[in-house]
Parts: sequence; C-alpha cells; structure tokens
Amino acid sequence: MEMDQTDRFPKRVPSGVPGLDAVLRGGFLKAGIFIIQGSPGAGKTILANQICFHHAAGGGRALYVTLLAESHSRMLLHIGQLRFFDPDMIPSRIFLVGAFRVLEEDGLRGLLDLLRREVQSHEASILVLDGLVSVEETAGSPREYKKFIHELQAQAALADCTIFLLTGTPSSRIAVEHTMVDGVMQLQSELYGRRAERHFEVYKMRGTGYLRGQHSFRITDEGLVVYPRTEALLRLPTTHQPASGAPVETGLAMLDRMTGGGFPSHSTALLTGPPGIGKTTLGLHFLSQCDQDCPGLHFGFYETPEAISAKANALGLPLKDLIEQGQVEILWQPTTEGILDEACHRLLDAVRRRGVRRLFIDGLEGFERLTTDRERLGHIFAAFRNELSALGVTTVYTSEADLIGSVSRLPLSHLPLQGVSCIAEIILVMRYVELRAHLHRVLAVLKVRDSLIDPAFHRFTIRGTGITIDEDASGAEQILAEAAQQNHLRGPEVLRTGRARQN
Amino acid sequence: MATILVVEDEFGITEVLQSALTDAGHNVVIAINGKQGLERLKEKGPDLVIMDFMMPVLDGPGMLRAMSDNPEYRHIPAILMSSLPESAVAEAASGMYAGFLRKPFVLRTAIEMVNRVLNGGRPPLDEPMRSPC
Repeated sequence: MEMDQTDRFPKRVPSGVPGLDAVLRGGFLKAGIFIIQGSPGAGKTILANQICFHHAAGGGRALYVTLLAESHSRMLLHIGQLRFFDPDMIPSRIFLVGAFRVLEEDGLRGLLDLLRREVQSHEASILVLDGLVSVEETAGSPREYKKFIHELQAQAALADCTIFLLTGTPSSRIAVEHTMVDGVMQLQSELYGRRAERHFEVYKMRGTGYLRGQHSFRITDEGLVVYPRTEALLRLPTTHQPASGAPVETGLAMLDRMTGGGFPSHSTALLTGPPGIGKTTLGLHFLSQCDQDCPGLHFGFYETPEAISAKANALGLPLKDLIEQGQVEILWQPTTEGILDEACHRLLDAVRRRGVRRLFIDGLEGFERLTTDRERLGHIFAAFRNELSALGVTTVYTSEADLIGSVSRLPLSHLPLQGVSCIAEIILVMRYVELRAHLHRVLAVLKVRDSLIDPAFHRFTIRGTGITIDEDASGAEQILAEAAQQNHLRGPEVLRTGRARQN
Repeated sequence: MATILVVEDEFGITEVLQSALTDAGHNVVIAINGKQGLERLKEKGPDLVIMDFMMPVLDGPGMLRAMSDNPEYRHIPAILMSSLPESAVAEAASGMYAGFLRKPFVLRTAIEMVNRVLNGGRPPLDEPMRSPC
C-alpha cells in the first residue's frame, strides 16, 4: 500500500460522495481492494460510478468491468440522469468492459489476465468489478475464490490501482472474501413502519479509523449523499471553543434582568412551554437582535419562512428587514419523509456557511419525529451543544410541554426536563395559569449557568409589539394565589387537550 | 443469406443478435473482442461485421483500423454499436464504419440496418462496399 513519505500515512482516494469521505476519514486507501455489498436496488452501481466519475474529473482513469450485471447501455441510461455523469469522460477516462464471457470461457485465470491487461492498457487507477457473485459461482471451491481475491489484491498493489468489488448481500455477516480485502461496506434499506430509510455501514477498513455504525444516505439527482451519524461526527467539537464574551441580550430587557444579564455567550437555552404560549415569539425577539456582525438562523420544523416572516411583521419585529439584508436566514425542515442526520447536517451547514451567532431551533420535537431511534437524541443534542458552543453560537431551543401541566397550583408540574442538563445551560419555562375564564401566561427562569437569576414567575402578555414581561413577580403572584384558592374550592382540574402524551 | 460476424464483449446482446440474425436467414459468427474478431475474419470471411465500440484486448476502432490496413478485409462493411452517442465515437472510428447502432436498440432497427448495409446502403467512406452474395 502506497505511503505518503512526508507523514507516513497511506495515501487516500477520495470517493467524491458527500459525507462518505467523512465516514472514511478522508477516503479509500489507495491501491486497496474493497467490497461494496448490498441487495438489488441498494445503490451499489450508482456509488461505484460516482467514485469513477469523481476520479476521472480529477484527471484519473477508471475501468468498469461487468460480469452478470446490468448491461452497459441500461447502466448509462440510469446514471446518465445523475448530475455527476459527464458523457465526455467515456471512453476517454472511463472505460466499460463486459467480462462474463471471458469468465465463462477461460475461468478465473482468464478473468484475472483480462483485468490485469485492461488496467495496464487503459492506465486505470480505479477498477470496478460489478457482479462478484459470478466469480464465486465459477470458483470450484472457497479456496479458489480466496486465491482469486488474493491475486487481485496483488494486482491492485502492483498496478497502483484501487479496486472495488460489487456484490449482493452475503447470507452471513462475515463471508470468506471479507478476510482477504482491505475494506467491506454495505448499503441497505430498512423499513420503519411503512417508511424506508437507506443505511451505509463500514464493516471493516484496514489501516485507518472510520466512523462506525449505520449512517443514513439518500440517492438524489446528485447521486449518493451520505449523512454520517451526527453524534459520531461531532464526538469532539471540530474547533476550539472561543473565549467567553459578554452575555448575549435575549431581545427582551426584562428577560435579561431575570437571567442575570442575558444568556451567557455561546450557551444553549431550552425554552419549554405548551402550544401557543409564545415560544416562537420569544425566539423572534431573540433573532431580532441580529446584525451584520451577529448573523442569525431560524431553524424550524413547523412554520414556513413566509409564515415566520408574517408573524414577525404582525408583532412589529424587524425580522423581515433582517432577512432581506441577509442577517437572518429562515430554514424550514418539514418532518415528512425526513432523515434525522440529514436535518442535523443541514442545520450545521447553515450555521457554518454564514458564521451564525444566534440560533433559534423550533423545536426539539421535530428531531424526535425524524428519528427511528430515540435513544440517539440525547447524544446528538449533547454533541450539538458542544459543537455550537465551540463555533461561538448562542442557541435557543424550544420544547413543547403538555397542557396537562397547567394545574394552577403546580405550574412546573409535568415538565419533561429529566436529562436536559447535558444539552442546555439555561432553562426557561412558560406556562398558562387558568383563572376563571382567563388563561394567563407566566414565565420563569429555572437555571442559567454561573448567573444570579431571578427565580420568580413573571406574568407576560403578547400584544401588537410582541412579548411584554411584568417588571416584578407581583402580577404572577396574585394570579397564582387566586388560582390556588379557586382550585382549593373546586379540587384539581386540568385542561383537556385531546392530545395524548408521547412517551 | 450472408455471413455476419458479431464482435461484442457484453453477455446477452451477442446471444440475442445471433438468434435474431439466424432467424432472418443469416449465418452468424461471434467473437468476444476485437482480437478474436480479426481471427474470425480470417477463418470465416464474413460479409458484414457488427462490432461494439468499447471492448477488452482490442476495441472497435482498433479492429476497424486493422481491417482498414488489410486489403483483404477493408472492403467488408462494419456496423458499430455503442451505448455512447455517435458523436462520441465518430472521431475514433471516422470513415471506417457503414452504420451506427446506439444501445439500447430494438431488434427491428438492427435487422433493418443489417439489410440496408448488406444491400449497399451507406458505404464505407474510403472504399466502395462489396455487394452482398
């Protein structure tokens, strides 16, 4: 295997597939031999072609050899629709060869000779052999099959050619050929209810670290796009955390006072409350503080950019101007048919692209709807907190609480706040208090890292100018006292929402 | 009845062409690359060659050049097949083929082209085409 003499690390062949090189820590090992396996329709042929076209675009040459696989014309018809396809590359830099007949007539020896000659004559630095199962069927024994792979590996090294072997999913996780090659990876599709999600997994990769586990991928007009597991990709922050600065204004002077001067810089705040209480509105106040030096991002799962803009306008907040001036971006991530890691990637990409400093995420439940594995969420949000903090971002998340917690004597009841400490340094709670025919809104700061907070409930209202918070706790105290008295006379009462709690 | 040499590396296409051309009354000989194609030329003396553009060992343009360089073979008309558009292959095979079939093609198109070329349709540019038997 060729080593880079300057740093003693094996040279890499980038795949050109977005996200895949991050999983492989830079790409495939040069002059290595790799098995790409998966069931029919999994995307093996697209992946192999994408690697070839990327390699050719960079000045390399590739040889694509088919055995009993899709015909070349059919294959070109299909990949011709994808953006990476460049017809000018064939046959100048990518050469297609059918070799099944050679395999039939001359056996494994004939195929090996053909591959060696063709790699040499075309000066190919990538070879794809599509339909490895035909080789296995032709080999009289596992020993003959292993000898074929072994000789191919020798060819790869001597010709300085990286080889990809495409095959179906073996009946057992470990097949005989797996022991012979430098890497094994699998493409597969799994059903979650009626929804299907594609996964990419590296089983083996010699001589290099890689991101273990299943990574989601899509087949798009651009070809394959891999979304590495967010918690693995961000296991450690990608940059050093900047020095803490002055607290960040929340956008509401009274909330700044309640939080002991604003949000600590580069911190993450969790804002929880029932539907309609004003969480998004508070987020719009937060983003209205953005300027050229402090760009903002609204990443929401529920409302379209137009709806957000109209809402800000109705509240007299200058968000529309900030959007037009490019100081605030609104990204809408519908939860229909989405992939969790795709949404995470989109969010982080938008943060990095514009050097975002104020981030409002509305809300946590959107990620929950996208995931097929809820156990991952805590790890992902913890990774987000570390990464966003390192990027110098101050983040506000919303989290929807049930109306069931609105028992007036117990305004903090039913809050699902267990385990949030690892994802947020600041916790704000917004609640309704039911008093006779009126629903009042109250807000409390539960926690702000390293700050002296005002821990009392404050009443707030939402009118034409947005949120107005009472200067002190007297209003909230009066409401809560009256509500307690009312409930004492009537017994506990809850608002019925008809919405089942999701656990 | 004509003798037709089909030179193609991809499994499947050769078999179908062989059956269809045999049904159409022709005698069909096959080869899996240009080098083997040249050997068959010598052995069988075909009236027409249908060949793929990209093949291992010796590709279509390589075989066409060898035919063109040999006075014994240069009169034999050739039909070139490829998954690539004709514009992509024309330069490498310029003036050396009588017809072009873009893959995937339907059999009727292939048979019609075979008959047209055998009947003296589009001749090779550098040499007059020999009349079919």
